Amino acid sequence: MASMWKEFSKGLWNEIPPFRLVLGLCPTLAVTKSADNGLGMGLAVIFVLVLSNAFISAVRKIIPKKVRIVCFIAISATLVVAVELLMQAFAYPLYQQLGIFVPLIVVNCIILGRAEAFAAKNPVHLSIADGLGIGVGYTLALTLVGALREMLGTGMLFGKYIMWESFQPFKIMVEAPGAFLALGSLLGLMNCITIIQARKRGDELPVNLTSGCGGACCNPEK
Amino acid sequence: MTQQESTMTPIVPRFVVDTPPFMHRGYTIASMMRDKIIALVPAAAMAIYMYGIPAARVMALSAGTAVLAEYLWDKILGRKDRLYDLTSLTIGLLFAFLLPAGAPWWLVITGSAFSVILGRQVFGGLGCNPLCPALVGWAAMTVAWPMFMDPMAMTLQTTLVEPLQKIKFFGYASLPEGSELSLFLGQQLGGLGSSQVAAVLLGGLYMCVRKAVRWEIPVAFLASVLLVGGIFWYLAPQIGLNPATTPPPHLYLLTGSTMFAAFFLATDPSSSPVALGGICIYGLLAGSLLVLIRIFGIYLDSAPFAILLASLVTPMCDLVRAAPYGRRK
Repeated sequence: MASMWKEFSKGLWNEIPPFRLVLGLCPTLAVTKSADNGLGMGLAVIFVLVLSNAFISAVRKIIPKKVRIVCFIAISATLVVAVELLMQAFAYPLYQQLGIFVPLIVVNCIILGRAEAFAAKNPVHLSIADGLGIGVGYTLALTLVGALREMLGTGMLFGKYIMWESFQPFKIMVEAPGAFLALGSLLGLMNCITIIQARKRGDELPVNLTSGCGGACCNPEK
Repeated sequence: MTQQESTMTPIVPRFVVDTPPFMHRGYTIASMMRDKIIALVPAAAMAIYMYGIPAARVMALSAGTAVLAEYLWDKILGRKDRLYDLTSLTIGLLFAFLLPAGAPWWLVITGSAFSVILGRQVFGGLGCNPLCPALVGWAAMTVAWPMFMDPMAMTLQTTLVEPLQKIKFFGYASLPEGSELSLFLGQQLGGLGSSQVAAVLLGGLYMCVRKAVRWEIPVAFLASVLLVGGIFWYLAPQIGLNPATTPPPHLYLLTGSTMFAAFFLATDPSSSPVALGGICIYGLLAGSLLVLIRIFGIYLDSAPFAILLASLVTPMCDLVRAAPYGRRK
């Protein structure tokens, strides 16, 4: 149980996808015009990620190593089609808002990244915990970016007006450049917090804060 | 060795570098910026004369915010501040010149801080900006609050004309008789300092003489505007454009912020090319974009956008230079 909690909780801060792994940036930039959209996208990713991790982990011993990527893609593509159909049935307005980015979940690096880096090496229960943690982290991050952009760009949060009366919406935040501004500022803030924490603990300052696959495979020093 | 040397032709030095000590020419960043600020004075005086105290308020607020933003940024990041080289003050003033005189205070503060921080500091400070900082702030504010950046909407009760709008929608014949001179003297509605054509030209010439900017850049830019504008003016009936709304080329120079962009924005040291060939391409690109956006685009004053887009290809323009003598293939 403790190890499951460990795998789950790492996705919430230490390896939170768009800010630490810096994966899955395309939806992070493209669909976060409002907090609603961010949340909906995040939920779709949780669904796909947990199930794909579970399936891949379950069949990891029988997949030949040479064709594993194809198998991973086939599994996640099946799940994405399922989530697309479910969305059309039960959340059609959200589906229309997200548009092409729902089918594009299949090429989201997080899905393949977690399959390759985690699910293909670990038992089913840990893979589910990992998928859930990363998915929840992704949802939180997307909702945060979406909330920030919606709040500044339109003065609303989840469709309700929350700013003061004479507030003039800073429209650039809901345009394309606003996505980069919001993501860049949040990344900077995360790195800043990490540096302050490291300094407090008296650790050495981390060199490469935002390292690809969870810092495990890309960090040249390890 | 000696035999080999004797068979070779004697080497004639092309460029001799003597031994130190060298004499310093006296140019510093601060002195260049001082010249730039002095060059801005005539336009600032004209702006205050035309629009009164509101213009002075916008300029003071913008310059102050820019300096404060740079100071705070350096303080928070623990860097040594470089306020003494006056660059942030210049950015603040240039940004203010692009605003309408009636811009609200929060827009001036946000835009000025945006210019300094997003336009320059996030890229690493002085000399690292890929685009002219004041233009970054201007573009962000134009996208965010188009209404408050529009000189027409922000300046009520005025007898000044907005020449760009008249040319675009009513044809250049609708400008009053002999309006070239009044346009040249800044009798037009636009950014508070950028539409003072004569004063900007005066300041620009001063900068060129003092070598605070490369004179090739404004010349290349303005010549390209004349050339491309002339081509369109000449060919307007043949290519299906309305001849009435395609002005003769000199009107491009006299309206909007073309002159200001040529001397003060296009010449930003770190976002303009170095070599002469690159400068020609850069000027041609910016000049053609200006004319194209004015004729076909939805933005009336296209000069800032033209410069912004041209700055993006500056790294490519810098590749255009003479091959060093004797370079290996």
